[in-house]
Amino acid sequence: MREDIRRVQQSMEREGYVTDRATATAVYLAVTLRKPLLIEGHPGVGKTEVAKVLARMLDTELIRLQCYEGLDVTTALYEWNYPKQILHIKLDEGSGHSLHDKEAVIFSESFLLERPLLRAIRNEERSPVLLVDEVDRSDEEFEAFLLEVLSDYQVTIPEIGTVRATHPPHVVLTSNRTRELSEALRRRCLYLWVEYPALEKELSIVLAKVPGIDEHLARELTAVVQGTRRLKLTKTPGVAETLDWAHALVALAATRLDDEIVAETLGCFLKDESDIRRLTDELATRGVAALAAEGAAAG
Amino acid sequence: MITSFTTRFCRALRARGVLTTPAESIDAMRALAAVDVADREDVYFALRTLLPARREDLATFDELFDQWWRAERDTAPAERHARAPRNPAVRSPTDEPRTAPGAGATALIRWASARDEVDDDGSLSMPAPSGNETIGKKDFSAYTADDLAAIEQAAARIARRLRARPSRRWAQARRGRRLDLRRLARLSIKTGGDPAELAYRRRKPRRTKLVIVCDVSGSMDLYSRFLLQFLFALQRAFARVETFAFSTRLVRITESLARDSYREALDALVSMPGWSGGTKIGESLEHLLAGWPRLLDRRTVVIVLSDGWDTGDPDRLAASLTLIRRRAGRLVWLNPLLGNSGYQPLTRGMQAALPHVDVFAPVHDLASLEALVGHLSL
Repeated sequence: MREDIRRVQQSMEREGYVTDRATATAVYLAVTLRKPLLIEGHPGVGKTEVAKVLARMLDTELIRLQCYEGLDVTTALYEWNYPKQILHIKLDEGSGHSLHDKEAVIFSESFLLERPLLRAIRNEERSPVLLVDEVDRSDEEFEAFLLEVLSDYQVTIPEIGTVRATHPPHVVLTSNRTRELSEALRRRCLYLWVEYPALEKELSIVLAKVPGIDEHLARELTAVVQGTRRLKLTKTPGVAETLDWAHALVALAATRLDDEIVAETLGCFLKDESDIRRLTDELATRGVAALAAEGAAAG
Repeated sequence: MITSFTTRFCRALRARGVLTTPAESIDAMRALAAVDVADREDVYFALRTLLPARREDLATFDELFDQWWRAERDTAPAERHARAPRNPAVRSPTDEPRTAPGAGATALIRWASARDEVDDDGSLSMPAPSGNETIGKKDFSAYTADDLAAIEQAAARIARRLRARPSRRWAQARRGRRLDLRRLARLSIKTGGDPAELAYRRRKPRRTKLVIVCDVSGSMDLYSRFLLQFLFALQRAFARVETFAFSTRLVRITESLARDSYREALDALVSMPGWSGGTKIGESLEHLLAGWPRLLDRRTVVIVLSDGWDTGDPDRLAASLTLIRRRAGRLVWLNPLLGNSGYQPLTRGMQAALPHVDVFAPVHDLASLEALVGHLSL
């Protein structure tokens, strides 16, 4: 293995992100080749975390753009501060400045509200990490616009001119695949698919992220989650849910799992009523031990 | 040397349907310069992040990478050309059986004239409706001419629901209830900060488009007449519909349906070949993709109306559905047989299709048509 990749992996682990070679290589290449990294995977497998860890590793600012349907340029890029503009025009009323001058003033830097994309491009000191979260939830128009920004890291504000990045951001995009992204955007990016972790990896995530958890308990609960994932549920629990559950069990001072405590805390990792019913049935017929054994065998 | 490695590998990927561009080959070179090219894992993970662009490509990539790496390692440079990754087996072209040209027209004329007759073939293969069933629950196969007005009403209701959906985006408006602050600020410069002239904005209307692909093969005969009636009514009520019919091949019938009366529409449809023949769903959908490449976008709901009795290649069906799903906003498969409680979607075609559709729903009575609205809003 290339020394650089090993170092990336080590520093990610140091930042508390249990990783593998695929992820480390992807992050290394994204930084080296200066290409955006598109991360896809089921909800709760730690896609967003990659960007956060990257920002900490590079010791730089993390700028997050949460996507949603209808997200537009005024929320993503910039907006003029209208109340301030109108107030300024009002105060400036008797000054005798020409219309041209007045316009130049109210459409200047101090009236500009910077939104995440503009901030990512205008960083003066170092390349920030730009996290475009859940890009699949934005719509096509925004995706096209994003593509434009990502292709040359510059944007044009009609009243000011073109802003070009002196330090292009490191871009991480995440998607839950609720809709298919455009081919053009995919082509622009490096691609990383994050699978649910196997038993041992998930166990080390739990041990790293939940301080003070009993190792035996951690192993048990991870096995149960792994077993649960094999059932065809509506909402399969992700790593985030495993961690929630682990935290809950620690808070309840549980030392080992039995049917009762699992039944009481099901809501930590199952978020769908029919799934809860399904697992309750499963526990009633087979018991938690069987489920854990199955999960452990699969891992 | 690495250059030829990479280009050959990219070519092999392309042959297997994993689209890689020259730009990516170049990036692949840059990436390989940044990793240890003697380390299999390094090369593997680097190319794996670069070349595939979606999860579905990963398996193909893994398989080809394995072949490629072994071939490149085991072979002396001189022999390399002979041992380049093999292309996948090329499918032999399937012959397309055609129905006799006259047959389709006869079938359609039969439908058209059946308007005035009592529908007696409805009870042949479908469960007959019992007398006390409401019209909403009555199976389409048992419809008589009298019930058709109800279908028109249902279509009109669907169209109404589809039209009135504001999107989350804003557009300028002459009048409205929301002020457009951006323009307001600009306009008030003229008047020294006093907003003398107001500017408004409103929600942009969300324009959902429908593309309907209707199976008119022999097995759908019982339903086709009513579905066509429905399509006719829907197209009259809603502007953004493109309608296609297929049996062994695909025909665009949007224009034929755009007539003043259903009767005229049927007359126009009669001149088209291929009604009531066999079923080639996959090939027909391929034709849709190839023949109207710009038709599908995220604002489009694609509806396939078919019972899934397919005599074509299920792999081609699955592949074309994957492509449609990738481009369209939603893919809905409506199966008239699904309304039958004993029905299980076990046919080869249906089995191949199910993993790729967003919604699988029945379309056998008016209630199911009404339920459709929920699936159509994007």
